[in-house]
Amino acid sequence: MLFNIDNAYSALGVLSLGLLMTIFLTIICGATSLVAGVFVALAKMSKRRWLRAITGSYVTIVRSTPLLVQLIFIYYALPFVGIRLNPLSAAYIGLSLNVTAYLSEVYRGGIEAVSKGQHDAAAALGMKSSVAMRRVIFPQALRTLIPTLGNYIVSLFKDTSLASVVTIQELMFKGQIIAAQNYDYMTIYAMVFLLYLAVGYPSIRFVTYLEKRMKNGYAVKKASKRKVGVAL
Amino acid sequence: MSTPIIEIKNLTKSFGSNLVLEDFSTTIQKGEVVGIIGPSGSGKSTLLRCINFLEIADSGSISIAGEEVKVDGKGGHSVPALKIAQLRTKVGMVFQQFNLFPHLTAIENIIAGPKYVLKEDQKEREQKARNLLEMVGLSEKMDHFPEELSGGQQQRVAIARALAMNPEVMLFDEATSALDPEIVGEVLGVMRKLVDDGMTMLVVTHEMGFVRQVADRVIFMDEGKIVEEGPPSQLFDNPKHPRTKDFLSAILSHTE
Ligand SMILES: Nc1ncnc2c1ncn2[C@@H]1O[C@H](COP(=O)(O)OP(=O)(O)OP(=O)(O)O)[C@@H](O)[C@H]1O
Ligand SMILES: [Mg+2]
Repeated sequence: MLFNIDNAYSALGVLSLGLLMTIFLTIICGATSLVAGVFVALAKMSKRRWLRAITGSYVTIVRSTPLLVQLIFIYYALPFVGIRLNPLSAAYIGLSLNVTAYLSEVYRGGIEAVSKGQHDAAAALGMKSSVAMRRVIFPQALRTLIPTLGNYIVSLFKDTSLASVVTIQELMFKGQIIAAQNYDYMTIYAMVFLLYLAVGYPSIRFVTYLEKRMKNGYAVKKASKRKVGVAL
Repeated sequence: MSTPIIEIKNLTKSFGSNLVLEDFSTTIQKGEVVGIIGPSGSGKSTLLRCINFLEIADSGSISIAGEEVKVDGKGGHSVPALKIAQLRTKVGMVFQQFNLFPHLTAIENIIAGPKYVLKEDQKEREQKARNLLEMVGLSEKMDHFPEELSGGQQQRVAIARALAMNPEVMLFDEATSALDPEIVGEVLGVMRKLVDDGMTMLVVTHEMGFVRQVADRVIFMDEGKIVEEGPPSQLFDNPKHPRTKDFLSAILSHTE
């Protein structure tokens, strides 16, 4: 038999721990990047030239180099200049820096896509630009971006497997350890594969659902609220 | 005694080599209703946008309720952005494309200014918004999003939104041009109410009948300048300038 049920069963506990680590990394790096991305996007659109220059270079550097190399550099090269990070910090910083850069571009695109008429209307009411951004522009941008942001978080979930190179005991790394012990590559990596699929598949379905819901316009939310109201 | 609400002095504005406003000066008195007419591209929208500082003129000055703003010659205004924002609260603006906030319901659109700019308390701003919705005849649409409203309804909400700031003057930039002909009347009806309430208004429009009825003064502008101005009876029935005559006959032959 190619797939060994006994091996699969005995690996399940350890692999589940790995999956938990994978999910944990996804959540903390995802949350950080979703928030930090907004600020980087705003900085990239700032009137201050130096701020635009710094954030612009950061985003360009991140986008021009492989994530795997970024992680390895942070964990294995930085100690030579005195920056010693434990594996979790290195993975957290590396993944967050990477995803933040991409998300900042997503946010910037969404913010720039909000029509000039909205800026005019907010300004004409006497809103300062910060208030207009917070109350008028950003909420509209965010709504159109939710599915895209969701896709990036699903990508992050998969990319956390690269954190195995900095010895994070996530799902991929746990799989490699077990496979190196029992040589049952087929069973172990099939299990790893299936565990990623078990989380990844519902996630992309959820993103698709969000996409559909967004296309339905703003009134949908209220319609469902109304129904609840009636039911109560 | 008349009180000037808006004083425009020697306003000049070009986009690149395109001179859109040329040494434009006029004064709008409190309670005055001024109609602005003129061919497409004559600078009417640009004028209104300069009055609200959405556009920065190249030279000249604009005073709102006695507070003068010049241009600083470096692409900015002579007063800080915060002051500009504060002056804008005195000037209500209604756009051709409505520009309601699509993520907010009708009442939330109206409340936005009082809430985030005037910082009025919740009771006060909600009561005001309800009154305004009633005034524009949309009380029952209070919780609808803009996408659920017709063009005419959206524009009426937009007027209410501008009024919620208690402006000293209202600017209308072709407020009915994006509407189907049978809906134009409901928006003009609301504007007429404002005239009756004594609101100071600057109305850019192609609705000559409306201007004739409500305006105290009509300005005909072309190529960024005032060609002719006067009371509607004079300007419509007795235009002096050949360009005014041409424009009016072209307009009237269209509408008849
Ligand atoms: N943001 C801009 N950038 C460049 N050119 C502009 C801009 N806004 C207006 N213009 C130009 O300025 C001129 C006057 O435009 P404006 O919109 O003020 O005219 P208008 O009298 O309102 O015309 P309409 O009746 O068509 O609305 C036009 O030639 C227009 O192309
Ligand atoms: Mg115009």
